[in-house]
Amino acid sequence: MSSTKRYWMDAADLRQDPEAIKAREAEFAQPLAIDQVLGDAQFNGASTGRRDFLKFLGFSVGAATLAACETPVIKSIPYVTKPEEITPGVANWYASTYYDGQDFASILVKTREGRPIHIKGNPRFGINRNPALTKGVVNARINSSVLSLYDGERLKGPRKNEFSDNASTSASVSWDDADKAIMDGLSAASTAGKRIVLLTGTVISPSTKSVIDGLKTRYAAVEHVQCDTISYSGLTNANLKSFGKRVFPSYDFANADVVVSVGADFLSSWGSTTEYTWQYASRRNPDGAMNKHFQVESRMSITGANADHRIPVKVSEQPLAVIALHDAIAKKSGGATIGGGLENEELAHAADALWGARGHSLVVCGSNDEGVQTVVNSINSMLGNYGSTIDLDNHTYFFQGDDAAMAQLVKDMNAGAVGALLMAGVNPAYSMPNAADFKNGLGKVGLTVSMSRYADETASLCQWMCPDNHFLESWGDFMPKVGQYALAQPVIGKLFKTRAWQGSLLKWSGSDVKWNDFIKQTWQANLAAHGDAMASFDNVWNQSLHDGVLVSHATPAMPVAFAGDLGAAGAAAKKAAAGAGEWELSLYTTEAVGDGQHANNPWLQEMPDPLTKITWDNYVCMSLADVRRLGLPDYLGEQSPAGLVTVKAGEAEVTLPVVPSPGQKPGTIAIALGYGRGANGEKVGKAAVVSDENGERKPVGQNAYALTSLMNGTVGYDAVNVSVSATGGTYPIAITQTHLTHMDRHSIVKETSLAVYKAGDKDAYNEAHALPVHEDVNADGVIDSRDKKPVAEFDLWEEHPVEGVGHRWGLSIDLNSCIGCGACITACNSENNIPVVGKDEVRRSREMHWLRLDRYYSSDTHWAEGRAAGESKISLYTKMEEPSERPTVSFMPVMCQHCNHAPCETVCPVAATTHSNEGLNQMAYNRCIGTRYCANNCPYKVRRFNWFNYVSEKFGEVNPAWDDLGRMVLNPDVVVRARGVIEKCSMCVQQIHAGKNAAKKAGTPVKDGSIETACSAACGTGAIVFGDLNDKKSMVRSLSEADRSYHMLDEIGVKPNVNYLVKVRNAEEAAHHHA
Amino acid sequence: MPLPACISRRSTGSIRTAFALFLSLSLSAAFAQAPDAALYGQGEKLFKGNCASCHKVDVKMTGPALKGAKAKWEGKGDIYAWVQNSQAYLKTGNEMAVKIWDQYKPTVMTPVALSKEEIDAVFYYVENWAPPVAKTEVKGHVGPVDEGSNSWLWLVILALLFLVVGLSLGGVKRSLASAVSEAEGKGPLPETTRMQRFRAWAWEHKVFMSFVGLFITVWVILALWDAAWVVGVYGGDEVPHYKPEQPILFNHTLHAGKADQGNLNINCQYCHSSAEKSKHAGIPSLNVCMNCHKAVSAGRTPEGTAEIAKIYAHIGWDPDKGQYTGKEEPVRWVKVHNLPDHAFFNHSTHVAVGKLECQECHGPIDQQMDVAEQWSPLTMGWCINCHNVKEVKMDGNGYYDEVMARLEGDTVLGHRELKQYLEDGKITVKELGGWECAKCHY
Repeated sequence: MSSTKRYWMDAADLRQDPEAIKAREAEFAQPLAIDQVLGDAQFNGASTGRRDFLKFLGFSVGAATLAACETPVIKSIPYVTKPEEITPGVANWYASTYYDGQDFASILVKTREGRPIHIKGNPRFGINRNPALTKGVVNARINSSVLSLYDGERLKGPRKNEFSDNASTSASVSWDDADKAIMDGLSAASTAGKRIVLLTGTVISPSTKSVIDGLKTRYAAVEHVQCDTISYSGLTNANLKSFGKRVFPSYDFANADVVVSVGADFLSSWGSTTEYTWQYASRRNPDGAMNKHFQVESRMSITGANADHRIPVKVSEQPLAVIALHDAIAKKSGGATIGGGLENEELAHAADALWGARGHSLVVCGSNDEGVQTVVNSINSMLGNYGSTIDLDNHTYFFQGDDAAMAQLVKDMNAGAVGALLMAGVNPAYSMPNAADFKNGLGKVGLTVSMSRYADETASLCQWMCPDNHFLESWGDFMPKVGQYALAQPVIGKLFKTRAWQGSLLKWSGSDVKWNDFIKQTWQANLAAHGDAMASFDNVWNQSLHDGVLVSHATPAMPVAFAGDLGAAGAAAKKAAAGAGEWELSLYTTEAVGDGQHANNPWLQEMPDPLTKITWDNYVCMSLADVRRLGLPDYLGEQSPAGLVTVKAGEAEVTLPVVPSPGQKPGTIAIALGYGRGANGEKVGKAAVVSDENGERKPVGQNAYALTSLMNGTVGYDAVNVSVSATGGTYPIAITQTHLTHMDRHSIVKETSLAVYKAGDKDAYNEAHALPVHEDVNADGVIDSRDKKPVAEFDLWEEHPVEGVGHRWGLSIDLNSCIGCGACITACNSENNIPVVGKDEVRRSREMHWLRLDRYYSSDTHWAEGRAAGESKISLYTKMEEPSERPTVSFMPVMCQHCNHAPCETVCPVAATTHSNEGLNQMAYNRCIGTRYCANNCPYKVRRFNWFNYVSEKFGEVNPAWDDLGRMVLNPDVVVRARGVIEKCSMCVQQIHAGKNAAKKAGTPVKDGSIETACSAACGTGAIVFGDLNDKKSMVRSLSEADRSYHMLDEIGVKPNVNYLVKVRNAEEAAHHHA
Repeated sequence: MPLPACISRRSTGSIRTAFALFLSLSLSAAFAQAPDAALYGQGEKLFKGNCASCHKVDVKMTGPALKGAKAKWEGKGDIYAWVQNSQAYLKTGNEMAVKIWDQYKPTVMTPVALSKEEIDAVFYYVENWAPPVAKTEVKGHVGPVDEGSNSWLWLVILALLFLVVGLSLGGVKRSLASAVSEAEGKGPLPETTRMQRFRAWAWEHKVFMSFVGLFITVWVILALWDAAWVVGVYGGDEVPHYKPEQPILFNHTLHAGKADQGNLNINCQYCHSSAEKSKHAGIPSLNVCMNCHKAVSAGRTPEGTAEIAKIYAHIGWDPDKGQYTGKEEPVRWVKVHNLPDHAFFNHSTHVAVGKLECQECHGPIDQQMDVAEQWSPLTMGWCINCHNVKEVKMDGNGYYDEVMARLEGDTVLGHRELKQYLEDGKITVKELGGWECAKCHY
């Protein structure tokens, strides 16, 4: 060993010299272009012969080997003074709260050595907590938000932007300078008697409201305008007119026997989804009281995919469908009718179901039209749902935004009447229907201040950028509902010179109180005012901080009388439906990027859309018939790009690829909002703008907010008359699952109806696969094809000694509870350091997700019917490939099935993948030589190959592990895989070890539920259950023995440790599937 | 390692030993004329029992250094009253008392119930105290006597001898053959090089040479194969232990060694407290050092004192003022035990569940390691060898009761497995999955 070597090796490390780090990683900095080298004419005349080349090769290999013998010197730097609560190597969990204007959730944040690395739902407290499972619901957007903390494109401190006629400059300033200038500006605007407007998303924080009051005290002209990126003004306005309260009510899906949703995607994007998700799932257990869910919609939404009856209607027919429901129920209840509703037998059926369950039913509607929502209120009122499934007394504080106030503000800005505009949590220059007007007006405002974390579309047009903290760096308090409080606490010190926006407001109102002290003071004052037991405020505070939640008081919900003007509402609703053209458009937000604030998060961009399975893009969803009518490609794949169309709504137009989308009502299209961030070169976050296949940096997708419009005073997300024209161009699409139907194969997805299930004959819906044997099994005296034995009784191999012995870890996945949200995928990404590979690689089917969510559409054609109709085999297959216009959808999370007779293990030439005596299929990356035989032999196709070193500059744009900041999100308990090895789901073996260790140290058996995989912990609906199959008392064991339990591809006899539970729909039609 | 470095490292120990010997001899000469041993002993006992938590003899701590204190007070006040109850004496307004109080307030010296005689004894001890010196029987860092290398030397000499003899005999034989040939009238043998002759000989003995060649090839391959098993980048049984130079020369033996050998016998987990809680044993943060070193500022040797001063510099402690300055600088230790990134090792499993002693892997760290070194090879072979033989500590652990209950409860598979486990009469780590890849690699 050399004692001199270590100094220079360490110098680069110590200095973190970027050049040296780059050089160290430079293996692929200049890719070897073999074609170019070999094609080069000069090369042919080169003097380096083959033998010389081999000599060089031999020498360099030898030299490299010798060099590798040096002992690398690794430094280990302990804390100078170790914080008491930190033990290096042991994770700490802190309760906090996530709220971004769209989603709200009480969360737990996992930190390792002071770095937050994982987020899951708070299992004990909060409105998103599933009490039956003691799990908290978070969606993919929430559990991925930990990554945005480490986004290097965040603003690193306050900046001043200056604009001249054709150029703008941006300079870093100190907080003191910024504060002084802004306070001067505010005073000047105040003196000039102009409007000073604080524009925010919906504020649900009591302390923030007090801060704003303080600002109003200091500058009398201050007004607070709230504006939601996705507006619910229509609904809240309707509630004001119907019940005198401009609020977004609390809905209780857990108490609704019949749910009818007209265009409301309440499991993914509409309302308080984290709450509805567990409520809804709690009623999807076929062994309990299963609800009945009707979905009336034009596009296939996640909620629609889960419905028992999905009624596809055009966009313009949705308001009429609401009227039809209203009138059908009014006839039953003796109320006033509107007339002119949509005539549809199934709607009448839905109305019957609603009436049958009156008092325990629920009608929700996704429209942002006040008239339509008023009619919906009238329906729920006639059904007696207020006070039962809808609670206006304990209403939420979400979605207080007011489109009218926002419209007025833009008008005033353009008229020069606004002296100062302070903005936090909004991005109107990106998300407003009239963004151009807003941008124009912004230039006429005396003082413009943005408190966005990024120099985004709006912030880059403001004079001052005073960046807010990331929510994981910030204190906060929340009041999601009447009587419900929540706290957020910082789990890491501030990474940059940022300041909580409330802290900025405090400063500008002349207060020296720190934001966290201010929250504490507000709580103390509020709790005292409520007369709550105040024996010790510190105890209450500490307990609330520990729990993340404080439930103070709840008022009993009371029925309320509907006082709206039904006639006017009906007329308005019909107006919203009028003027339908050839094409109708609905705009929606995706499960992944939501309203657009997560567009910079690579985990989310790479998460396949639950339905279309497309990553890294938005697109036009169109029915297959329409796609063919326009002559566009109907099959998308690596070599099959999508066709481009231009969609025009009014003045605005976007050009996007077309994706055939089963279930889309012909004549309608749907486009996702939230894409196309940073289109003008704004720095909106690392992964929002990426290189395309030609290396050009382009925003991901196109901004479709331009297609929204102000209708009847609220922002409309539906347009009933748009034009669609094919451009003739094509566009590559990265799609992860291309097959369309499940080919009537019974052993992948199994589905039945509630009636069949309740009849109790297991073989009718979950027949075990049997093989004919040469033995008289049925004792009829003849040996024929009817003599069969269940596949479980056959075995090529000796039994693996895991049954009954020691642990046998397994998962049970309930296809009924799985709503397809994909939170498991991103939770797995975060727990297991799954690399992000980018669109181009996904397009080549090289995505690295250990867990995928398969989506199956089922067609209307079946063997039995086909044979009866005399179809030939080939034409029958062709017909089964054809997705129906009204398909039913099943979601199926698929990870490594950990087969006890694993086909992958037998083919590995180096025994890199082996079986553990606890039933795990283990993967030793360092043994793997990359033959990929295992992936080839895996019947479930769950093995992933590292085609590249993803922690390299080539993938630095998308893969967070590349830069020093992004790397902080990696889980130190899981290795980062290198190029050339296979990887796959380990069933979170690191968590299993941790759980076993804890049990051994405590000297107790492993308690059921004490170990969770990332996916099972993230699954708030309880669809994924992890446990020990050998523990007779465990939940996973009882589920695996249930009648609904089956193994995927049972007939191949690989004996997986993952089992699935048959999906049961509360619908009559589904019965014929296995009849 | 370059030769000079090697020499210097080897020799430092002996030089130091010699220096220490010299020092202690000269000092013991000074001691010789000293004191009333009984009084000195009594004073030492009283000092350590009553004063040492706040005072040192020669340097300031919480309170002032005591050496020379009596002389300072001479004629300026009543030192006895001051020691017995400083606050009461302060009220008399004595100038000297006020001066000292101003310097050390607000720390109040608690009243001490010592008689005048006892106080005298303390001061007698203090005045005659001398700083301790290194023990004369310092275990020199001479390193183990390398008997192996001696025998190798002899072998080499013998081999050379044989070679010379063989070559000369060959020469003689050839001269003789040449002479015979000449005598027979065939003329002298053609002049050939040794190599040519060897080739001719080898060609004549083709079969023999093939066997020898095969033997050598196989031997080399086997040797390489064996060598590959013990390759550890950081050392192991076959190569010198990895013992990098550390920024602070922390002496493990002194801190953790046995008390009867004059060491401090501190439990390993006092400092490496996370060993039983976490996968990392952890390098203690400096505040743990300061639990003791706030009081212990002097080492047993001047070098030791210098190392302790480094702690103060890093944590920002001003020993003179007895307060933190707030200037902190983390210590950049060189990591000694380096596992590859793809191997996960959990200390707590081994310490808290397996109940291993630290020394089983880290070697006699409490006996013969001043600066820590890597003792075990930390190769995978080494890990799994231990897993192969170590019995699982099941007694009284409910977790293993459940494991056993399941094995015993399954009369077919369970009993078959259990029988296999117990072939050697014990259940080893391997049998409960200790050889499985995902135990350490994930």
